[in-house]
Amino acid sequence: MQISINDILSTLYYSREAIEYLFAKKDNVSISQLKSETQLSEEMYHRLKSLEIVYEYENTVVLNDSVIALFEDILQIGEVTPGVIADYILEVKRYISFYQETHHYRFISPIKKYLRRLDKAITREIIKLQKSIDDTYKNESNYRIKLRRLEEYREKRDTLISSIYTLQDLLSQNRSTLSISGDAQLYQIIQTLRQNLLENLDYLIEIQTDITDYINKIQYQLDIYQKAQQIKELKDQGLLHFSTNFNEVVANLNPIRFNGHKSPRTKIAIDTLYTDIGQQLCQKIAEKYKVSQLRYRTSAGQLSFNINEKLLDHQILIDNQKLVEKFLQQKEKDLFQFILDYKFPKEVGTLTLDQKLSLFVEILVQYEKQLHFSYRINYITVTDEENRTRKIGYTIIPPKKEKIKQSS
Amino acid sequence: MNTEDLELPRQTHEIFNILARGQFISSNGTKDGMSRLYDVLNDPQNFEKLQSYFSVLRYKIERGNNYFYFSKVNEPPSITEKKLETFEKYIDIIDLFASLDNKITIGARVRPSEIAEECNANVRLKQKLAKIPLYRSENFLNKIREICQMLDRDSFFELEDEASETYKVLDAYGYLLEVINAITIFGQPPSPEHTITNPPDIDIDINPN
Repeated sequence: MQISINDILSTLYYSREAIEYLFAKKDNVSISQLKSETQLSEEMYHRLKSLEIVYEYENTVVLNDSVIALFEDILQIGEVTPGVIADYILEVKRYISFYQETHHYRFISPIKKYLRRLDKAITREIIKLQKSIDDTYKNESNYRIKLRRLEEYREKRDTLISSIYTLQDLLSQNRSTLSISGDAQLYQIIQTLRQNLLENLDYLIEIQTDITDYINKIQYQLDIYQKAQQIKELKDQGLLHFSTNFNEVVANLNPIRFNGHKSPRTKIAIDTLYTDIGQQLCQKIAEKYKVSQLRYRTSAGQLSFNINEKLLDHQILIDNQKLVEKFLQQKEKDLFQFILDYKFPKEVGTLTLDQKLSLFVEILVQYEKQLHFSYRINYITVTDEENRTRKIGYTIIPPKKEKIKQSS
Repeated sequence: MNTEDLELPRQTHEIFNILARGQFISSNGTKDGMSRLYDVLNDPQNFEKLQSYFSVLRYKIERGNNYFYFSKVNEPPSITEKKLETFEKYIDIIDLFASLDNKITIGARVRPSEIAEECNANVRLKQKLAKIPLYRSENFLNKIREICQMLDRDSFFELEDEASETYKVLDAYGYLLEVINAITIFGQPPSPEHTITNPPDIDIDINPN
């Protein structure tokens, strides 16, 4: 099949979501997962496969290694591969010897190409190395693997350094050969490369400090663990307080957490109490301390013309819960009779007959489950506050004999 | 002192909320933008400002290796039964961690189920775990869970992923290790300088094969 760059690029473009997904996940992506996660069409998938951008192994899909390598190179991530540098150096060496033999100009151009590549590759490898070291220290969860990988990176760093030295030697040994060519561009490339090599060497030395530091940190933790085991042994023998200065050390620990300091408590501003949050807080406190007899409630909608008048309506509510409890404790009266004869507290004042009726209904609705409905109707005649005689029919709610569990 | 004159960082309130609760701010913490808060505190200018600001409330920011915490100014640390008990328990816990095959180090991810599994397979660990005074059921997994939750509460660990119950070991965990390091065992030379050329002789083998 004829493949053009255009084909590859457009396929990559149209399936970019899937490629990105595969690149991030690396492995363990099933075909169905890929299709559902990235809305990859069947046709597009076949195209990717036929161009060998993806491979399929037993129902899992992986990205072609060279595609991964391409992205990693550009993004300067992935595993450090110092071997590439050595290969390039060999190439440079080869072409220099060709040139020395023939002095033919056609060997200059590959030398330039490989020197340029070396410049880029060395910097890239060093950045990758730094990233990998940080990543290993921070994210590798197994400490043995962590130590091993850090040691490996140390070796790779050494390889990079020796490659740089080899390259420097190569350049200085062949200085005369290369200058004979009189190629200005080559001269320029070598100058830049030399400069960068020096900088990179400094950077590699810094990296070495990082690696040593990280390894030391892990080692320190492991040493402490060893000591912890010794201390624990003494503790098991009951010697902790006698054979060590444990008490003294613990006594001097100053974090507030271990010294019983609670978070600071400040008084709540009065203004805050009038806000919605304040209202909720007050309710919680009222519940906690059972301050339910008198409850202040903010009321909405009473916007009088004079806005300076107090917006809070101090309304006194009857505590229905208490009333029901009291009702259930007595045995003589049914609920309506009880409400009619009940002596309400002074703050509430005298209730009108209508108010008592609505209170009765309110309690029925609110405490339906706790009250014992007899389903019998009683008719009584009462005189209201305006001396009118009214006949009222109501359902009889006798007090139950056993105490009912309160509902909150 | 005028607060505006100090030009306090925007995150002052969040920083105070965490520190005043007695928690640590670790550089590798992720919850509530903790690493960001760490960076703010780690900035020398901010640190100075916040130190003097909190000193009014008699708090002092203490700096550790990649973590910060609060101590109280003019209040010498106390010695209480509870404090001793807490650290005795921490010795038990760190000893348990020290005996695990895969040692828990800063930055590691810890799953209670994995530790419980290892404890189940190892008699020594089983005994150790059984001796740690914990209040939950005798079930190993629940005990390890309790330990992790305790470390999480004290901000040495952080519950990174609730679904898989994965904890991350924060930099503040180093505080516990430093406490251990500070303890002197009488009749023993003080701990040697830690260098790579001086590996400890417990079962730490970089290349097990």
